[in-house]
Amino acid sequence: MLKVENLSISFRTDEGLITPVQDIAFEVQPGRTLGIVGESGSGKSISTKALMQLLPGNGIISSEAKILYTDKSGKTRDINRLGKKGRAIRHIRGGEIGMIFQEPMASFSPVYTIGNQMVEAIRLHRNVGRKDARRIAVEMLDKVGISNPEARVDQYPHEMSGGMRQRAMIALALSAGPALLIADEPTTALDVTIQAQVLELMRNLQRDLSMGMIFITHDLGVISHIADDVAVMYLGTIVERGPTDKVIHEPAHPYTQGLIKALPSVDRLHDRLTPIPGDIPSPNDRPTGCPFHTRCTKVIAGLCDQHQPQILQVGEDHTVRCFLHEKQQRASA
Amino acid sequence: MADITDTCASMVTSTKGKKESAKEHKKRLKYYSASQWTLIWWRFRRHRAAMVAAAVLIFMALLGIFAEFVAPYGPTSRDTKYLDGAPQVPLFCDQNGCSWRPFVHGVSTKRDPVTLRAISVPDPEKRVYLTFFAQGEKTELLGFIPSKTHFFLLDDKRAKLHLWGTDDLGRDVFSRTIYATRTSLSIGVIGVLISFVLALIIGGVAGYAGGWVDNIIQRVTEVIRVVPIIPLYMGLAAAMPKEWSTTEVYFAMTLILGFFGWPTLARRIRSQLLSIRSEDYVVAARLAGARPLRIISQHMLPSFTSFIIVDLVISFPYMILSETALSFVGLGLRPPTVSWGVLLQQAQSVRVIEQTPWLFIPAIFVVLAVLAFTVVGDGLRDAADPYSDAR
Amino acid sequence: MLRFTLERLVGMIVTMVLVSMMVFLIMEIPPGDYADRYAFRKYSGTGIAITEADIEAIRHDFGLDKPMALRYVDWIGNIVLHGDFGQAFAFETDVTKVIGDKVWLTMAILFGTLLLTYLIAIPIGIYAAVRRASFADYGLTIFSYLGLALPNFLLALILLYFVNLWFGADIGGLFSTGMSDAPWSFAKAWDLIKHLWLPAFVLAWSAVAYQIQTIRATMSDELNKLSVTAARARGVPETKLLIKYPARLAINPVVSTIGFDVNRIFSELPIVAVVLGLTELGELLLNAYLDLDMYVAGAILLMLTFVIVLMNFISDLLLAWLDPRIKLGSN
Repeated sequence: MLKVENLSISFRTDEGLITPVQDIAFEVQPGRTLGIVGESGSGKSISTKALMQLLPGNGIISSEAKILYTDKSGKTRDINRLGKKGRAIRHIRGGEIGMIFQEPMASFSPVYTIGNQMVEAIRLHRNVGRKDARRIAVEMLDKVGISNPEARVDQYPHEMSGGMRQRAMIALALSAGPALLIADEPTTALDVTIQAQVLELMRNLQRDLSMGMIFITHDLGVISHIADDVAVMYLGTIVERGPTDKVIHEPAHPYTQGLIKALPSVDRLHDRLTPIPGDIPSPNDRPTGCPFHTRCTKVIAGLCDQHQPQILQVGEDHTVRCFLHEKQQRASA
Repeated sequence: MADITDTCASMVTSTKGKKESAKEHKKRLKYYSASQWTLIWWRFRRHRAAMVAAAVLIFMALLGIFAEFVAPYGPTSRDTKYLDGAPQVPLFCDQNGCSWRPFVHGVSTKRDPVTLRAISVPDPEKRVYLTFFAQGEKTELLGFIPSKTHFFLLDDKRAKLHLWGTDDLGRDVFSRTIYATRTSLSIGVIGVLISFVLALIIGGVAGYAGGWVDNIIQRVTEVIRVVPIIPLYMGLAAAMPKEWSTTEVYFAMTLILGFFGWPTLARRIRSQLLSIRSEDYVVAARLAGARPLRIISQHMLPSFTSFIIVDLVISFPYMILSETALSFVGLGLRPPTVSWGVLLQQAQSVRVIEQTPWLFIPAIFVVLAVLAFTVVGDGLRDAADPYSDAR
Repeated sequence: MLRFTLERLVGMIVTMVLVSMMVFLIMEIPPGDYADRYAFRKYSGTGIAITEADIEAIRHDFGLDKPMALRYVDWIGNIVLHGDFGQAFAFETDVTKVIGDKVWLTMAILFGTLLLTYLIAIPIGIYAAVRRASFADYGLTIFSYLGLALPNFLLALILLYFVNLWFGADIGGLFSTGMSDAPWSFAKAWDLIKHLWLPAFVLAWSAVAYQIQTIRATMSDELNKLSVTAARARGVPETKLLIKYPARLAINPVVSTIGFDVNRIFSELPIVAVVLGLTELGELLLNAYLDLDMYVAGAILLMLTFVIVLMNFISDLLLAWLDPRIKLGSN
């Protein structure tokens, strides 16, 4: 339902043009969840903002990028050609693609009730009156597990707890009936126990409403619970992409391998965790060649720091951008 | 052979590259080890408008400090031959040719054929040259060094140069404006200092003590904040006895302006102290047994000194505008003291704009000074904000 | 909400009591007292010699021989209980009669100025924030700096000059000649409105400059808030989005500084009144000070401050109504 190709994003800044996202491609199938994993600064959030033309004024999406979206009526259009304003993009925002953000408190306006903001969204995308919109809002709040929704609908965001607010935010995003939901680290700001509840809720809702979903996180553990496919981002490029099982159990890229080793696990309680050495470089002095070569333990001198690796197929639907596999394939060929 | 030159060239570039990075490294080290004030100065320096404004202020202050030298004549000296006279622009050329030395045309007095009033008419045939660092009226530099030297005068001692014209009594507007700059700026400085000391004490006590002391001080502050400030000043200024000397009036004015200027700053200091009071590092100092005065001066004040300085700079315009407004309506400084407000008192009507617009020149100084203080304040505020983009 | 209102109301009364004490003190500062000046006014030029005993008698008549605290209680008691502000020497009548109509003229100027300020400053401030770093934005920034730097009595003079030049009419004052003494009628009210724009513009000048900067700053902050992006991601149309989300919050600081704006206007009023020839409280206050007619001055100062305190109270209530977060933490 969503197919992204050649997406690069640049920002005009005082220091010149910086390009935090370079040439990425991914795909979301209806009813499936794509997880995007990456450290902060890897460009995962901006990539999803670009999908809805929500970049700030100094952000530019490369002109050769294609963001092909097939809407509920089956029509396919390129969001990159729609521009930032106008009826067409507004129809997609909220109505076709819903979005949930990391900070539930900041995503609500503090001066309107939850109900007010939900009714607004519902009436923008569904042809219903004020009363019906309110009824839908109450139903939606009930569906996300908010008790006493009739009363909660007239509360202000600051009158709710963090977990409740995130539930309300999910209800708000879903109330307009989107076919695709983008969740940008929706559980990061929550307590661990509530995190699990919200994850569970999102998985169930996604199944019930048979939505497509893009789930962004920096936590590979969360991905294994919720995503069908996963894309691993590092410094603005997707270094590995494939079905979640494959990527978790047979990681092909040294970066993914590093992420998994850094993950605490019950099976390896007595082992020390191995962190990935070094820091993620800043996008305005991106290393030449493979962006990961500065931290890679398997770096090939003279190759990785000079040339960009190409995308390679390593299994069914499993691709990786790494010279190690190029060598292996050449060797086996 | 070609190979060798190539390698040589590459070697040169590589060493150069290394040198560059060493320089960069040094710069970076310097940046990381710079003190708070150095950082603020570096950031302020990049703010071009604020730098220009600061230069304007320094220039004005110098004009004021060296008024006796810069002004050709005393603030109350009269030129009875040139009443309500227009500004005289020094020329290098006229219909009789050019000269390297700037000159003005001489003035001769004629009688108006209709009204029979004596009027001054420039005589284009008569040239009077300017001389610099010339000897003229006796003055006392900075108020105590006897001197006769002035920056510029006319070489014909009987003629006077009125760069910005004269008022109805024939007093030189340029000289008066220069002297007024000193008065107005000094009132601003002293007024701000008085409010600063008061604010520091009152805000400091309220913020450090908290509780009922804070409550009472807050009430009093509130009272001074709600009373319209110029009418309040006016009331106090009106109460000054008419028989007071100009010096007494001057000091009374600075006291009045200073005495009611503290509430804003005191509130700022109080709220900063209150918020810092429970910070971990202050609690740590208290637990370590530091005495209150030490905690305030060593741990609390330094964390917001820069903000206090910004507030001080920003409060200058209010002082200057208040003094100008009060003197303008006749409740502030009194002639023969000259301040910008006193000078503008002569320019209260539209008739003045039509007939002797040069009497408004002091207004340009007021606008410029207020503008410069505001811009410098904004520049300082940006520079003092540790979260603003560094380097 | 009721508790919040009551708390503010009590605070307002306490402030007014303290203000009245300060005003009374200011009235007391000038050398000599009411009796001296009364006697001087009454008998100077009449050739009648006055003795110390005469003055003492006057002093006793007015109750000026009582201690200061008692006199304060008398003064404020008469004001609160009987609306009696004392005697105006220069006019030889009650202060209330002298002030009379002028209160309403001053209120007309005040509300005219406030209206003009907000009508100009709010849309422009929002526009400057939305079009950040455009030429219009830089132009407005320069204007607002100038607005803060140009004293408004100078602005008044400059405007008078140009209006004279272009229209050849004298537009100073609050009424056309002959109108000021006429009884109140529709024509007179219209005449007032026609004259009001100039003082309103002059007095609004610096407030506009100040408010544009505040609104631009808060609006810029609000525009970058996640809630705005979130609303945009729900497909809210841009204009509606700007008004409903960031602009609604950017107005809060304006509401919270209403009292401050009123204070500024009253502060500048006496000076502007001189230049524009306005016959209202500001001008009366200035003349009362110049004549040391302290009861008139005290009454006006008290009244102006009362209006400011009242507007502060209203702005607090408005703010609590506008921003639901405030009610929660009313302390």
